[in-house]
Amino acid sequence: MSADLALELVAIDKRFGGVHALRGAHLAVRRGEIMGVCGENGAGKSTLLKILSGVHPFGSYAGDVIVDGRVRQLHGPADARRAGIAVIHQELTLVPELSVAENLMLGREPGRFGMVDDAALERLARADLARFGFADEIDVTAPVMTLGIGMQQVVEIVRALPQDARVLVLDEPTAALTARETAMLTRWLEALRERGTTCVYVSHKLDEVFALCDRVTVLRDGRTATVLDIRETTPHEVVVAMVGRAVEGHARARSRSAPRAAKPPVLEVKNLHVNRVKTSGHAGRAHADRARPFVLSGVTLAVDAGEIVAVCGAMGSGRTALLSSLFGCARAGMSGSIFVGGAPANLRSPINAIRSGIAFLPEDRKGAGIVPEMTVGQNLALPSLASLDVMGPWARVGLVDAVAESRLADRQIRSLRVHGEASALVVTLSGGNQQKVVLGKWLERRPKLLLLDEPTRGVDVGAREEIYTILEDLAESGVAILVASSDLNEVRRLAHRVLVLRDGRITGELDGVDATEEAIAALITGAVGVARAGSQVHA
Amino acid sequence: MTQTVLPTPALRTVRRHLELRVSRTQRTALVLLLLWTVLALHPETRGAFLTPGNLSNLTAQVAEIAIIGVGMTFVVLTGGIDLSVGAAMAFFGVIAATLQIDHHQPAIVAILAALAASVVLGLWHGLLVATLKIPPFIATLSGFLAYRGLALLLSDARGLSPMGADFAFLGGRISPVATTAACALGLLLAIVIPLQRARRRRAFALPIESAWSLWGRAVVVSLVFVAALWIYGEGMPLPVLIAAAVTAVGAWLLHSSRLGRYAFAVGGNAEAARLSGIPVTRVKAAVYVMTAVLTAVAALIAAARTNGVTPGNMGVIRELHVITAVVIGGTSLSGGRATIVGTLFGALIFGTLSNGMNLLNINSNWQLISTGIILLGASMLDSWSTRSEGQR
Repeated sequence: MSADLALELVAIDKRFGGVHALRGAHLAVRRGEIMGVCGENGAGKSTLLKILSGVHPFGSYAGDVIVDGRVRQLHGPADARRAGIAVIHQELTLVPELSVAENLMLGREPGRFGMVDDAALERLARADLARFGFADEIDVTAPVMTLGIGMQQVVEIVRALPQDARVLVLDEPTAALTARETAMLTRWLEALRERGTTCVYVSHKLDEVFALCDRVTVLRDGRTATVLDIRETTPHEVVVAMVGRAVEGHARARSRSAPRAAKPPVLEVKNLHVNRVKTSGHAGRAHADRARPFVLSGVTLAVDAGEIVAVCGAMGSGRTALLSSLFGCARAGMSGSIFVGGAPANLRSPINAIRSGIAFLPEDRKGAGIVPEMTVGQNLALPSLASLDVMGPWARVGLVDAVAESRLADRQIRSLRVHGEASALVVTLSGGNQQKVVLGKWLERRPKLLLLDEPTRGVDVGAREEIYTILEDLAESGVAILVASSDLNEVRRLAHRVLVLRDGRITGELDGVDATEEAIAALITGAVGVARAGSQVHA
Repeated sequence: MTQTVLPTPALRTVRRHLELRVSRTQRTALVLLLLWTVLALHPETRGAFLTPGNLSNLTAQVAEIAIIGVGMTFVVLTGGIDLSVGAAMAFFGVIAATLQIDHHQPAIVAILAALAASVVLGLWHGLLVATLKIPPFIATLSGFLAYRGLALLLSDARGLSPMGADFAFLGGRISPVATTAACALGLLLAIVIPLQRARRRRAFALPIESAWSLWGRAVVVSLVFVAALWIYGEGMPLPVLIAAAVTAVGAWLLHSSRLGRYAFAVGGNAEAARLSGIPVTRVKAAVYVMTAVLTAVAALIAAARTNGVTPGNMGVIRELHVITAVVIGGTSLSGGRATIVGTLFGALIFGTLSNGMNLLNINSNWQLISTGIILLGASMLDSWSTRSEGQR
């Protein structure tokens, strides 16, 4: 039985400090098949990939990696390549200014005494492309950045797939592709399969998995939940396996029965388009810019006072873009109309957004939330230093009243139960307490609308619950809350209403009561079409 | 595996002691005290170093570095650097000198013109760095090249001298009575302000610094007061008074003004600062303007001290002296951490080295080498303690 397995991962166990990322995951891929790997964010997909590609070296995990029946010790990416595993990562690693041939031969240029033999280089590159049937379609002398993103993906794969590769591993290969390019890639992978190449295809797009794969391995919480034959399963079954059967009854039936207030909603967004940031120079992106110029297209939504609305969606679906645009961080511009408290809001910069009564808790706490060199108290006071109400009369002349600042810090530390002194450096606090500081620094400004991007990422369970309680209290006091989260438990715990984003559009809206994990997951993965509020989600 | 790094636990303990017991600024002060002790006891400098005349000269010499250093500390705090200050000194000096010598303007006109030019130059740096997002190194490197050219152009490459008689006061001394008054005022402020703050904090039941620390500070301040009276018995050089005032105001701005706090935030985490509603562009522009204005002040003092301006020589490699003082003082070149008092100590260490070696008749080449070693030592201590902070 194991003889026809090209690749086998046995009982893989991997910890990062306190986080148990993989708990005995299995993966068995038969020779010549395309194996799909699915799972929610955090299920362990990327950790598994990094073990396969040697990024997490042998010894840092438990379990065996078996290639062609032999146990391998992968100490680094070079070992993985030698074992015949070719991993194509989500981001392209081509040098955009160099030609296709130069990219294909990068690091193994033919020639002597440090000089490159251009003719040999071109010949070898052409031979490589010919091996995959692309010799006529791709000009090896053209700079890579002139190619479409699909063709760039092909170059990437050709480069990563040496003749002796036994397994091709693709990580979300279509994340940046248009529908046409996706179709092309799919056809090509099918052709590779006919010629006997084994392939592992990691994706959260179930339609692609069902179009292409022979079997699918579903990961959940670091374990292999199930392995299903594509011909004998349904997208619904995969979704159920992804979120787990043990979805309890509604954690809290919190659907707001209160009728929409006569007052206008705190936030009203109509037909919001947000332009994609043009990343100069990067080969793949430049093309993607043209193909999909918007990160968000035609988003319309409203959040009432006291309401907690969750935004769900896969990576790259536009969750973060939505929140940061509403906070004035849309660098490439946006169009559409936004009303805060019924009045048209000018959200050209964070300063304007704050003036409109908006507060934002960014996803990247270390990179955008805290100032690590500052104390807890200084971090808490940061957005309020110019406010006369909070800081007293000295603020008028540009001074910081140290006493007013300390009192502010004291107030927030006590009311949010931050475990740490006001005078301690903020980095000495735990993740959960740091997050409370980032939250607390806004509360002094009495925001009308709170935007939260992954509010409990990297926060331990106890502090998580405390943060939820704080947020519920805030909502009770009339603050409107828009929270983006990839943690479906969190969404179910908090949200009165759930919006689902897919490829920059809102594709579904669920009432809190109907927002079961499987219903949300089905909308995220596109396992069902557009669902309306309250409607039954799957057939 | 772990046996190979045997000394680490011991080292770590030493490090922890270094950090817990003394702050960065205190560490710099210790180095300075050590240098002074050595020079006071060394047989060849005994009796020459620790005299009012010598110390008065020493402090007058470092005044320019200390004044520019206050601005540079703010710039470095925001994660920037200003390489143009040396050349800008020559430019501002030439503006003042040509007005006085070629156009026979009174000192006040020359001084105001130089200060006005410095505001324009500072705004220009702010525009380049904050608005056009040109890396500060490049933006001010262009000034480093261009401003000396401008200075030479404006002066036809002549040495300009002598300055008008009304200009000399900038390099002169104030009367002993005024000196005593200034020192007393300083002493009063240094004791009353912390007490006042402690009283207000107590009124709101906030934690206050220990009586020990309050008293300790009062003792140190009083000692400085006595020392100042002794050193400046014949009157304090005006550059020293200006440097002291600039340092005091700079330290106060750094810790008690919104600008100072925002500068910390911008240097510590620019993205978090922006998302907190801080006007990052204005903060950056402000610190470059501040540095340029203080550079003009230093240039005017230098012109008065030497009674003239030589555009080809004035302020040459001054920018590096200033940055050296800032770094020795404990301000992190990667931004987010700064101390003004540390910069003052850094400047004094710099001045003490050259003063002491002059007294010892060591040639100036060795002065450069030893300054280099001290700079390296300071930044090694810095990365050392930064790393151990990361381990916590």
